[in-house]
Amino acid sequence: MNEPDDIVISVKDLSIGYGKRVILEGVNFQVRRGEIFVILGESGCGKSTLMKTMIGLYPPQLGEVWLEGSNLATARGGERLRLLRKFGVMYQSGALFGSMTVLENVRLPLDEFTDLPEQLKELVALSKLKLVGLGGAANKMPSELSGGMQKRAAIARAMALDPGILFLDEPSAGLDPITSAGIDLLVSGLAHHFGITFVIVSHELASIYAIADRVIMVDCQARGIIAEGAPAALRDAADPWVHRFFNREADPSHSIQPT
Amino acid sequence: MPPAAPTECETEVKLGPEGLARVVLTGRLSARTVVDCWDKLEQSLRAARVKSLEVDVSGVDFCGGAGFALLRYLNMGRMTPGAAVSVVGLAAEFQSIFEGFTAQDYEAFHPQDQQQSHALVEEAGHATRQIIEDLQDQAHFLEGVASSLPASLMNRKAMRWPEVRHVFELAGANAVPIVSLVSLLLGFIIAFESAQRLAEFGAQLYVANTITIVMVREMGPLMTAILLAGRSASAFAAEIGTMKVNEELNALETLGLAPIGFLVMPRIMAGVLVAPLLTCYSILMGMAGGVLVMLGLGFSLMLILRQMVSSVHLNDLAVGIAKGVVFGIIVSAVGCWRGLQTQQGPSAVGLSTTRAVVTSLLFIIIADACFSTITYFLKS
Repeated sequence: MNEPDDIVISVKDLSIGYGKRVILEGVNFQVRRGEIFVILGESGCGKSTLMKTMIGLYPPQLGEVWLEGSNLATARGGERLRLLRKFGVMYQSGALFGSMTVLENVRLPLDEFTDLPEQLKELVALSKLKLVGLGGAANKMPSELSGGMQKRAAIARAMALDPGILFLDEPSAGLDPITSAGIDLLVSGLAHHFGITFVIVSHELASIYAIADRVIMVDCQARGIIAEGAPAALRDAADPWVHRFFNREADPSHSIQPT
Repeated sequence: MPPAAPTECETEVKLGPEGLARVVLTGRLSARTVVDCWDKLEQSLRAARVKSLEVDVSGVDFCGGAGFALLRYLNMGRMTPGAAVSVVGLAAEFQSIFEGFTAQDYEAFHPQDQQQSHALVEEAGHATRQIIEDLQDQAHFLEGVASSLPASLMNRKAMRWPEVRHVFELAGANAVPIVSLVSLLLGFIIAFESAQRLAEFGAQLYVANTITIVMVREMGPLMTAILLAGRSASAFAAEIGTMKVNEELNALETLGLAPIGFLVMPRIMAGVLVAPLLTCYSILMGMAGGVLVMLGLGFSLMLILRQMVSSVHLNDLAVGIAKGVVFGIIVSAVGCWRGLQTQQGPSAVGLSTTRAVVTSLLFIIIADACFSTITYFLKS
């Protein structure tokens, strides 16, 4: 499939869900090279499922996801492995391997997919950890790290093979504002210095305003995208639900009326 | 001859007089191409006594993480110990990344070799301390169970009977198929094995006595307990262990509900009720297996049943059922105890499950030995 050079991910008429249950349908969007692209929406509306379909963990019910001109859902064997090497993923919990040290976690992709000498593998892993501010935690076990540190270590592991795209699932969820801002700074720094394309699932407004170039908003009722654009522009959206979301306004029906 | 494929990374090493060396790298420094560069540099530089090394990377148009690692390795003088090294010609966009990780960072972060060897005495001391701590924890658990017991038995609201029924169904009713199969086959095996020996004395009829006594006094309770340990002790440990990891036990504590009363007592009660019933069922299935074998040997059903009934006394049945009750308590209590001991970490629940099964089996065998000893002395 031919796409303009700056399009790295192209989602076409995608329907996702579990079994017969459809969560989102007819989803279309594109992610450009080097941009920080955020998928947002209320809890349980299928943001993470959409991301997991994009990275090939879940098969689409309908439609296609094209990654740099190749369809990951239909790719098999070596072709699938080649596509998987193009991106790294940070899961919501970090998903570090608990039986390995932080350094071993970051080294794992290098051990499995490169023939680099041991000395260089260690240097690559340590430099990635330094990049995310965790050089001093190299020899710790994941259980010894805080939530924010685990997410940073997961980003270092996702970056081990220098992928061009990083998928982050809720990078700021459950973190204090300072740690959350630190992750935002890391993401924008990596995008700026290394030209990495980010696809981020989030509903943290502060984080979205700080780093996102473009966002799409998915909705449970509409089962699709209800808004797309720069975060600042969506603040003034005509749709009342989108307007409330971006201005952090409560639904009046949720207020408690004294009896 | 086809033209050679273009090399993505060229490595040129020039060794000059008085230990001067110059390395020129051109092309792409990626994880794939760096491997070849490394091999060439190792061959050329390791053997040479280099005093001063200049690495020219002005011809490098791509540098990935592995490329930077190679440049840093050279820059730290790891390939040319004692030499003064300089990396020149790095493109402006790579310079800040290259300087982002220094030799000082490497020294500070890289894992030091740790001496892990322990003396035998130290290992023995550590193991003894663990056993003592385990026993203390066990005593603490038993104290908790004992203190919850009166309230659970006296106060109808204190014991969660719906939970008891649920566990009873999971541990008991759902175990019926496997208990049936194992016990039937066990009776089958014992009957066949004893039939061969007793045939030598013309006493095959006594297979019925053997199978009845063995199943009622020993194999029925023991086999049921082993199956319960494998199915239920592990399930209790995994369930309570996962609850502990997910902080659900902390939530119970702060709601004012003691985990022992809320989680452990219903399981022990279910274990006490289900184990004797399963034991009786196992005995019957084992005897059925023996009956099948004896029917095959040509004995009539009435004769077999009369022989079986005459060989067993009420005392034997009481011993079998008492064993079932004790084994039921052991299996459920040990499963819950190991679950409560679960630590943090991904392998913690798995470890608790394994320990629950192993400890249950150990305690079951110890209890069985105690039963045998006590009944022997009571009879004599």
